[in-house]
Amino acid sequence: MEATRRGFIQFLARGTGLLLVSWVVVRTVAAHLFHAKLPPRSVAPGKQRWVMVIDLAKCDGCRDCTKACTKMHFVPPMQEWIKVYEIADNSAAGSYFLPRTCMHCDNPPCVRGCPVGATYKRTDGIVMMDQERCIGCRNCIAQCPYSARAFNWSEPPHTPEELAQPYSVEHNYPHRKGVVEKCILCPEMLRMGMLPGCAEHCTMGAIYFGDEFEDAVTNSKGDTVQFSRIAAKGAGFRLMEELGTEPRIYYLPPVNRKYPSPTEKHQHDADMANPA
Amino acid sequence: MNQRENNLMQTLDMSNPKFRAWVGLLGAVILWGAFAYSLQLRHGLAETGMRDQISWGLYISNFVFFIGISHAGTLISAILRVTDADWRRPITRMAEGITVVALCIGGTMVLIDLGRPDRALNLFRYPRIQSPIVWDVLSVSTYLSGCLIYFYLPLMPDLAILAEEANLGSFRRRVYQLLSLGWTGTPGEWRLLEKAISVTAVMIIPLAISVHTVVSWIFAMTLRPGWDSSIFGPYFVVGAIYSGAAAVVLAMCILRSVLHLEEYLEPVHFRNLGLLLLSFSLLYLYFNVNEYLTVAYKFQGGEKLLLDRLFSGDYAPYFWTVQVVGVLLPMLLMMAVLGPKRYRHFTVPGLGLASFLAIAGAWAKRYLIVVPTLSSPFLPIQRVPESWGHYTPTWIEWSITAAAFAAFLLLYTLLVKFFPVVSVWETRHMEPPAEEMETVSGFGPRAWGSAARLSLILVGILLVGATLARAEEKPVAGPTTLSVTWSNLPSAAVPKMEDARTDPAPGTPWQIGAFAGGMPHFWNSPGNAAKSPGVYPVVSVAAQLKDVKGQALSFQPVKFKLKTSLGWLDFGARPTDDEGKVALVVRDRRYGSYPVSVAYPGDGVHQPSLGETIVEFGLRPAAALPEGGVLTSPTFTPEIGLPFVLFYGSMWCVFAYSLGYLVIWKMRAARQAIALKPDTQ
Repeated sequence: MEATRRGFIQFLARGTGLLLVSWVVVRTVAAHLFHAKLPPRSVAPGKQRWVMVIDLAKCDGCRDCTKACTKMHFVPPMQEWIKVYEIADNSAAGSYFLPRTCMHCDNPPCVRGCPVGATYKRTDGIVMMDQERCIGCRNCIAQCPYSARAFNWSEPPHTPEELAQPYSVEHNYPHRKGVVEKCILCPEMLRMGMLPGCAEHCTMGAIYFGDEFEDAVTNSKGDTVQFSRIAAKGAGFRLMEELGTEPRIYYLPPVNRKYPSPTEKHQHDADMANPA
Repeated sequence: MNQRENNLMQTLDMSNPKFRAWVGLLGAVILWGAFAYSLQLRHGLAETGMRDQISWGLYISNFVFFIGISHAGTLISAILRVTDADWRRPITRMAEGITVVALCIGGTMVLIDLGRPDRALNLFRYPRIQSPIVWDVLSVSTYLSGCLIYFYLPLMPDLAILAEEANLGSFRRRVYQLLSLGWTGTPGEWRLLEKAISVTAVMIIPLAISVHTVVSWIFAMTLRPGWDSSIFGPYFVVGAIYSGAAAVVLAMCILRSVLHLEEYLEPVHFRNLGLLLLSFSLLYLYFNVNEYLTVAYKFQGGEKLLLDRLFSGDYAPYFWTVQVVGVLLPMLLMMAVLGPKRYRHFTVPGLGLASFLAIAGAWAKRYLIVVPTLSSPFLPIQRVPESWGHYTPTWIEWSITAAAFAAFLLLYTLLVKFFPVVSVWETRHMEPPAEEMETVSGFGPRAWGSAARLSLILVGILLVGATLARAEEKPVAGPTTLSVTWSNLPSAAVPKMEDARTDPAPGTPWQIGAFAGGMPHFWNSPGNAAKSPGVYPVVSVAAQLKDVKGQALSFQPVKFKLKTSLGWLDFGARPTDDEGKVALVVRDRRYGSYPVSVAYPGDGVHQPSLGETIVEFGLRPAAALPEGGVLTSPTFTPEIGLPFVLFYGSMWCVFAYSLGYLVIWKMRAARQAIALKPDTQ
């Protein structure tokens, strides 16, 4: 066949036509296939959008939150669903305590990476964890920049109280081997209109919790404050904002600390141990 | 059948004591590994050295390593076939064998790493296409199937030859006969086979490259320092081809001396493959420099800690050993034995040593990719036992790793025993009937429709009629009344920071239309993504304070409180004006209806009074997942899902075409046509 200009233009036209037709076909098929409807488990019982504010200036590192959480959820040993870190951002800035729960990110890397949807976002903002579906690949642990996830490396020790209740995705126990665990913001307490365990048991009232749509957060002392106001006035920040995970946990900076810093506390403990 | 073919055929009969001892040794190691795995199954992954901080270890390193090894075999063979390089003929089979075996082992390593292997099928019951793990399942399974087909197709004529081989047992010959699908070697069959092989070879190339890219994405799709790298895909592909080519060369060296295949594997094969290996080691060096220099130059954030540990900290001896022994040394060695004439006679042993070093280095490098990153997280490792911050594999992990290598060797040995390790028909220089080879155009780069979204404002806010609550009258002397009303003021917009980056550029509406509106959102997908209501309601709560005679009480404090689901939000007190009125304007970002309590505390003359009303702020936004979630939807996300499904789906179509249609269906038709011919004549 001779290569004519006319023939070549026809060839290009046919190709373009083919591309257009396939585009339309994909478009039509896709429009029929992908009408996104949320599965029931992703729809929260209420219309809230939960939010937590942790006032780092008020945290004295007593770890009552951790203890209450561990007790309430029968958290297996070596796991802390809310872990109180001691952080020093640089050598000049003093150290401070940083209670770290699951951040319940609005753009959660763990949910993105989970191959089976064992961890999933709920409409009230909670990143849930379903231990009955988890296959234990631990991709979520690799994905989470906050080290907020733990794994049951062996069969966790059980207590009768823990085993007394059937497993529910809202309280995440009885615990089991080979699955990932983390803070799920106590959905069963929220159902009853109560604060999550850590906020309820924070003796310093440092943890505020509430509904973003109510624009109010409440702490263990019964103080209810306007969320948008304390976040704005207190220069509230979120941990590792630069990663784009959009956490639902806000922190108020540890300025003008009301309690000794970790360094001061360690110093005090050392002084008490060796009264020279 | 000539001398070298007889020699080759003898490998199929291997059963001397050395062979048995070798198989027995490998079998023992595998059994030991199986025992270790049974312990791990019973006691959980606590038997390994992995813990919450370093949650992936040897198993994942092995997985990446074996997938890497699997790379070169088929890829090299396919590229050489497509480019019609004639010298490839004796080495394609042994290269493809490595791929098939390594893929089986690599896939198993992931299963061994699972905390709940019993639930592995959940990957098929509830797959989420947004997860790199699912991409891996898709790509590795497709690749394994493709490689099996690509291994099998050129084997068919050999199977027919083996079925005629008198030295073999009758059972084995029947199996070969069965597997050859009744291959008779007519020109029609040859033509179909050549076509099927070339179609598969073309498709295998993009498939192979995609597989290791996807493996790298398991890491690159995280935020971790050291993994969060855009170069990871090609870096892994090059590393994989490097280690895989080294595996092919090493296998050639070993098979050549053990099976005496000198007549098949001539120095020219080593030289050609050696040059390929050398260029890939240079390429790998380049990628290493590129990967580490770009982060080391800036030394920022989380990467600083990681690089400190790699370059001069606790991982430094390991890191530099790997770079020197795994990359530099083999490179220099290959340059020496391939370059100057003086050392050419060392080509074969030199290449063997170099490829051994490269393989060992590749394995160690995989470990260095996986473990140091995990042990350098963003937040410090605190309040866990000291040992949890460091990873030391346990004997269980080492045993299973050893078993993996043993299984690799055993499977490869069996492959060599049961199938001729050199393609017989291809090396016979028997030219298949000259026929115009049909070539299939390769895949172009995939077009990734990027989902640009214009942020639509606006969930309309319905305003509901006001309700009036009467203040309670107190039957005491000097009571006061407090009547409360509320009304909506125009909604206020959520304040937005000025940012020229996110504002649409003026005067280019067609661009916005092309990129945001018209483009990829042709599916009605994000019904499950909520937009934040760009506005919030402003509500004014007004109260009128009167005494018992109905006179307005001026300049009295009135307190406002709002009941939330968890407590009372206090707005403090406001004074009434000279008409006894007081108004509170609430500009909070609040939705839903709330009881507002207005209280007058009273003074010496007037009694306290209380007013209440239910204030309707706007409707709560509908229950929906946050708009900020990228690929976090519980349903199929077409933006990422369609490219994967279409890419791997088209691979399956090609497999069905080449194996199912060409080889099974058409070949039978061709044979039947020939069988019928004598009758008609």
